[in-house]
Amino acid sequence: MLRSLFLFDMTFWLYLAALGLYVGYVLARRPNMQLAPAGHPSGPMEGESGWATQIGQVATIVTIFGWVVNTMALLTRAYERMQISGTFAPWSNQFEAMAYVSWAIILGYVLLELRYRIKAIGAFVVGIGFIAMGAASLLPYRYQTAEPLVPALNSYWIYIHVSVTLTSYAAFAMAGGLGLMYLLKERAERRGSTSSVLAAFPDLETIDELGYKAIMVGFPLLAFGIILGAMWANYAWGGYWSWDPKETWSLIVWLIYGAYIHARMTRGWEGRRAAIYAVFGFLMVVFCFWGVNFLLSGLHAYA
Amino acid sequence: MNGERPVVVEEGAAPKSAPSLGWQEISAELAELFASIKLAMFLFIVLAMTATIGTVIQQGERPDVYIKEYGEEAYRWFLRLGFTDVYHTWWFTSLLTLLCINSLTCFYKRFPAIWRSMQQDKVNIGLPFIKGMKHRAEVPVAGSKERVAEGIVQWLAERGYRVLAKNEAGEATLYATKGIMGRVGAHMAHLSATVIVLGGLIGSYYGFQEFGVCLEGQTYHIPKGKFDLRIDKFWIDYHENGAVKSYNSTLTVIDQGAPVTTKTITVNDPLVYKGIWFYQSSYGDAWDRVEIARLNIKEKGTDKVVGTVDLEWQKEVSLDKLGLKLAVTDFVADFGFNSTDKKVYSKTVEHANPAVRLTITEQPRVKATPVQAAPWIFYHYPDLFEIQGSRYRFELVGYQPKKFTGLQITKDPGVNIVWIGSTMIVVGITLSSFIYHRRLWAKVIPTGAGVTVHIGGNTHKSQIDFQKEFRKLTERIKTINTQIGQEASG
Repeated sequence: MLRSLFLFDMTFWLYLAALGLYVGYVLARRPNMQLAPAGHPSGPMEGESGWATQIGQVATIVTIFGWVVNTMALLTRAYERMQISGTFAPWSNQFEAMAYVSWAIILGYVLLELRYRIKAIGAFVVGIGFIAMGAASLLPYRYQTAEPLVPALNSYWIYIHVSVTLTSYAAFAMAGGLGLMYLLKERAERRGSTSSVLAAFPDLETIDELGYKAIMVGFPLLAFGIILGAMWANYAWGGYWSWDPKETWSLIVWLIYGAYIHARMTRGWEGRRAAIYAVFGFLMVVFCFWGVNFLLSGLHAYA
Repeated sequence: MNGERPVVVEEGAAPKSAPSLGWQEISAELAELFASIKLAMFLFIVLAMTATIGTVIQQGERPDVYIKEYGEEAYRWFLRLGFTDVYHTWWFTSLLTLLCINSLTCFYKRFPAIWRSMQQDKVNIGLPFIKGMKHRAEVPVAGSKERVAEGIVQWLAERGYRVLAKNEAGEATLYATKGIMGRVGAHMAHLSATVIVLGGLIGSYYGFQEFGVCLEGQTYHIPKGKFDLRIDKFWIDYHENGAVKSYNSTLTVIDQGAPVTTKTITVNDPLVYKGIWFYQSSYGDAWDRVEIARLNIKEKGTDKVVGTVDLEWQKEVSLDKLGLKLAVTDFVADFGFNSTDKKVYSKTVEHANPAVRLTITEQPRVKATPVQAAPWIFYHYPDLFEIQGSRYRFELVGYQPKKFTGLQITKDPGVNIVWIGSTMIVVGITLSSFIYHRRLWAKVIPTGAGVTVHIGGNTHKSQIDFQKEFRKLTERIKTINTQIGQEASG
């Protein structure tokens, strides 16, 4: 138990360091004054100088290292679970679920950085991953340890239903972080700010599109997660749908993003409005994940 | 809508006067409304908002629970608005029905066009059409019209595009498309809503959900399945630290008098027989019978314990030394007495005031007719009653309640339809999220020495990726130029 808790703790500090480095990177960057050639709308090209490049590289390395430690922590926890109860899912309580969500967020971010080479996003998305890990470590100790599963949870469905749902939460968290980034940059641009910090951010269209993509990943995953939950419920509770607060809230979240996805098809639902909506949607996810467990009663009360 | 109806009827009588308000136009308008994305967004948001009500207000509680928490006035409003059972109110089900109508109309209106575009070509376009696209480029290339067009077709075909080409005297036109499955997926998801709702309806009309409290060793008739169910055993497994690991019941199905199948069910592993599912749902101490009751027998005069006896449920025990025959014939967990029909019953299922009924046959010392009595012996009040004519007093010092297993008995013939709909929604959304429909047009027009390639394209999402692909295509067209150049020089 102590071994995994030590690793979770280490993950927390590494993500904090990574966040600090990404913020440092954004602050150290100087805007690239060279304009992209006409007719070729610039892709995510970043001009950087001096310190910035090095800080950025260190930030990426620390993030990846943190993610590896996070992975090890989850694996160690899986091993510990196996020892005490014969099931290994390292997302069997609130603490483990949070640690898994931050793992998925950081993995998503690392993939995004490797593919699009935009580091400034790290200041937001790694930030959310760090907050998830931090919130987990703020839970009382008795929530952090691995207790044997109650009979209702003791099923192979926990491996797939919980992980799929949590991964969708991670995708929505990324979309929320990108939405926030969009709103900050957009506000500054409207005020005519030429601050070098904001120039480090990718252009608005890119942030908007990436946020949309994150939701496009989260939306089918959540649908799949809800349906896996329904299948599990059909085995455990005697009915695939019982309007339990958690399942209702996950449906609410899904409906909210369903509206978003349809809105994107109509004119005017890009950019600022979409960014506000993504942040709002993420807040609903947070409520579904945390609020429901602590404020509302129901069949999911054990999670 | 209602206000317009009389007008429509009038117009129907004289159709020539105002054709814009005929039935066809009205129904077209309605179809437009029901197929609209705006209605979909509205329904999603309203469903999301109203669904929250049932998570904040407890559903299906007794009236006094609401009155205690919200007051009488609020409760009256709850009843009027259906807030105590939100998800089954007429307005919530109407919203769901509207969502189904919305998605079906959308499918009906839009899918045929997609189906056609999977077969039809769209090569007949003019140059201004390409020039008006969001993604467009003009690339001058050296080489013949046919060669360049061929090069582009080859590159696109390699990347999985379906390409159509038309070669005319003055120009060659290309149309390429990829990822139509993304759009097909969206419509699959649209249909799934109705499939799932249909499955739910079938379940609620032809299915049932019951709860059975069953005791070990008993056999119960399941009228809806026309078979019997025997409860062989119920037990609880524990982890090393004392936490419950699993609740288990061994059940045997008896069909037409013969045992058919035996299965041990646990919380996540039900028994299924003839479409009826038996779930391990709960367990507890029975309130109307005990396994064993322990009684102390005291002599009235001396108040000395002369014997302790463990009595099994409804089994008579003879204590010859004391001249007693004893049997526990009844038990209540929470003693209550109905004075109208003079019957003892258990007020609750809690073991708040347990009592056993002891049937006593006592042989007096001197030969006489035996004393017969059947008093209730209370666990908490040992001295409540005295048995007339008996030498003894009986004290209930302990008992082991019989465990019952709570089984949920469910039949849902709609569940497989729900799974079909679920598969459709997951596959549909996944297709539409990760595959995006792209279309490209190109015109290769000879200009002086070489040709100019006008290309344009659009997609309904993933603009960045499409932009990258588009840029690659432009680069590629330039390489056709050098390749041709090399061929010419070599």
